[in-house]
Amino acid sequence: MAEFLQAAIIGISLGAQYALLALGFTLIFGILGVVNFSHGGFYMLGGYVAYSCVAGLGLPYPLAVIVAVLATAALGWVFELFLLERLVDDHLATLMLTLGLYLVISTGLLTIFGPLSMEFAFPVTGALHLGSIYVPRENLIVLVVCLAAIAALWLVLFRTDLGRGLRALANDRAVAMAQGLRPKLLFPLAFAIATGLAGLTGALVTPILSLSPGVGDPVLATSFLTVILGGLGSLEGAALAAFVVGIVEAFTSVYFGGSIGALVLFVLVLLLLAFRPTGLMGRTVRGA
Amino acid sequence: MTELRVESLAKRFGGLRVFQDISFNLPEGGLLGVIGPNGAGKTTLINVISGRQSASGGRVILDGRDITNRPAHAVSRLGLARSFQQTNTFKNVSVSENIARAIRFGGRGAPVGLDRMLDAFGLTPRLGEISDKLPYGLQKMLGLVMAFATSPKILLLDEPAAGLERTERQNVDTFVHNARQAGASVLIVEHDMDLIRRLCPRILVLDAGVLLADGPPAVVLARPDVIAAYLGETEETA
Amino acid sequence: MRKQIRLLGWTELVALLLLATGFVVPMYTRSVLVYSVLNQIFVGVIAAESVWIMLRMNLLSFATPAFMAIGGYTVAIAGQHDITDAFAMTAAAFILPALVAIPLGALVLRLRGTYFVLVTFVLSQIMQLLLFETPGLTGGSNGIAGVPPVTLLGTEMGSNRLVLQFACGLAILATLITGLLTRWFRQHFAAIEENEILAESLGLVVWRYKAMGFVVAAGIAGLAGYSLVNMLLTAHPSSFDSSTAVDFIAYTIIGGRLSILGPVLGTGALVYATNLFGTHGQYAQGLYGVLILVVVLAARGGIVGTIAAVWRRVS
Repeated sequence: MAEFLQAAIIGISLGAQYALLALGFTLIFGILGVVNFSHGGFYMLGGYVAYSCVAGLGLPYPLAVIVAVLATAALGWVFELFLLERLVDDHLATLMLTLGLYLVISTGLLTIFGPLSMEFAFPVTGALHLGSIYVPRENLIVLVVCLAAIAALWLVLFRTDLGRGLRALANDRAVAMAQGLRPKLLFPLAFAIATGLAGLTGALVTPILSLSPGVGDPVLATSFLTVILGGLGSLEGAALAAFVVGIVEAFTSVYFGGSIGALVLFVLVLLLLAFRPTGLMGRTVRGA
Repeated sequence: MTELRVESLAKRFGGLRVFQDISFNLPEGGLLGVIGPNGAGKTTLINVISGRQSASGGRVILDGRDITNRPAHAVSRLGLARSFQQTNTFKNVSVSENIARAIRFGGRGAPVGLDRMLDAFGLTPRLGEISDKLPYGLQKMLGLVMAFATSPKILLLDEPAAGLERTERQNVDTFVHNARQAGASVLIVEHDMDLIRRLCPRILVLDAGVLLADGPPAVVLARPDVIAAYLGETEETA
Repeated sequence: MRKQIRLLGWTELVALLLLATGFVVPMYTRSVLVYSVLNQIFVGVIAAESVWIMLRMNLLSFATPAFMAIGGYTVAIAGQHDITDAFAMTAAAFILPALVAIPLGALVLRLRGTYFVLVTFVLSQIMQLLLFETPGLTGGSNGIAGVPPVTLLGTEMGSNRLVLQFACGLAILATLITGLLTRWFRQHFAAIEENEILAESLGLVVWRYKAMGFVVAAGIAGLAGYSLVNMLLTAHPSSFDSSTAVDFIAYTIIGGRLSILGPVLGTGALVYATNLFGTHGQYAQGLYGVLILVVVLAARGGIVGTIAAVWRRVS
């Protein structure tokens, strides 16, 4: 029973991290129609910026996390405004642009920080013992921050005019523009919010997992699995699927060990595509 | 009997209703006009019938066979072709290559009367030109001819006259006459009221996603509710 | 009215001719570096052609390393059982990945193109895990070492020269298959690339052609895996790392997607450039990234397209 609860807690905390990544990814896809291959790059960048602030500038960790969010959001904003914006209607071109950016980010980090893992430890250690269950404090803190960020994103998207505008653009760009919404303003903003979320996740999670050039690839793969599972473009689906992915990973690694979890998830995704191609909560996907 | 029957067809996007409870019949050899103000759901209606978009409810029946939500290529193979509102051709290749592709993808061979149609629109001497370089009016006609080149039994035309010069609109009449001579029934969505009046013996009026009226133009266009739906759209009815 | 479809055009012939120079190189040099670069180019060209086939239909495939792994491990496992016949192995390295691609393609290619990109990306990650998780079959993290060299008509292709010439032969074969496929379905692929919605509304069963391309592309990638294993005489998971998918995509996009000369010239140029980095090969990806940005923003035709544009301006 303890083992079960333990796995559940790990799963939920993984799920919260994946949700932040997948929500950002979905936001970009839903609103701009862009598949963001640089998402893992912004995750890495968030980690490295936070690391530099702590190790280089001696900033306290929470402040470093905030700097990481702002830096990744700013880079995302600039990239969208000056490069992506020109070709935003060409799916293949935008995909390749984000791929190019990812290569530039990861090679840049490799050049500056070298190929080895950074010694970047979470400032809070120790664990809570609840009966026979053992929960590391760091995981708990990450979980709380992630859930808070998800809640904040939800409030912005569903309770503010900005959010209504963004969701309208995602629903039907032509109709939204006819109603006076301005993609020129909202596209870079949406991209910045999403990359900022990826940066936040990186700043929070890399001290616990690891920080080296190349941690972006698996992050991207997990985001992809999550958004396919949730249904491309569906925010609710992405959030739900992220927790499914996190929990499946946690339970398979506790009970089977190794990387069976990823295989199980992939098979799950293929079955889903065969029988319910819209994903858990997606819309019609047939055609181009 | 090649007949298109639409029964209680509905389309929603999320919570947004595009149209609902649309029912009508297009009998073999028939010619039907569909009019309505902007945003009435006319293009979406064509998209749903032709399988481009999925239906939220109701049925589309072609020759007694339920084709609702069949993919676009399957609907085309069953003999229902559609044209697009914007010019829609393969832009980087010649006129003749465009037509060759339409014939090939349609899979029923070239229809009788294709050459006559190309002649009528002045496309024959321009077969070697890249379609994107043609004047707008000719690109638009090429799009129509491509739909016809699949040898359809039913043709759905989405605003064939939109963007054409007044003098070019006669080409749409020619197209419709030739297509019907070749045995196709035609449904035509159009804003140009003159064109609708002179071509269509029967019209449907769509307003805000519901079917407002169905009948001969002289009767339908005199109805107060139809006139009311068109208030504020005076330039279209001119 | 229908244009005559030629089996191969001049671009394919030029590509074949360029590759064929690999046969004569061993007559002029024994430089290990030249051999190594050429071998890498021959493997890379095949892999890039696999990417290029899908790019003809506006689809970006990250699955190349996964299908390379199937082809490569097939040959390595057969080698363990002393099966080394070149013809049988070439057929197996092509057919097995193609068979795996059939159900996958049928499943994914009915959906929006985006799904294809995402699924192929995840697929090559999954293939890595599969290689590690099946030590009984693939040797797990050790891979399969000591794969015997291939035998062609009774001759063991063991020497450096013969390995190079065999890799050259495989690259020519892959280019022939790719050229024939893309010429044969030229109209269909071009229609899908230019205007998929129109093509479908005219009656083209778009997903079927995409699936067909995907299956052949998988087979071609299998040949690349075969060539790689034959060069290294080892099948190791690191040879089929999912990140190499990006390299093959870079070769194709930077070379130019308009003709088959793109993947050939792009692979040649980038493999050569990567070797200039010497032991710092990992930095080459940064170069790829910058070049991809440049090509997408400023020079859509890539190397080949730019050469063609310059040529047109001059003449």
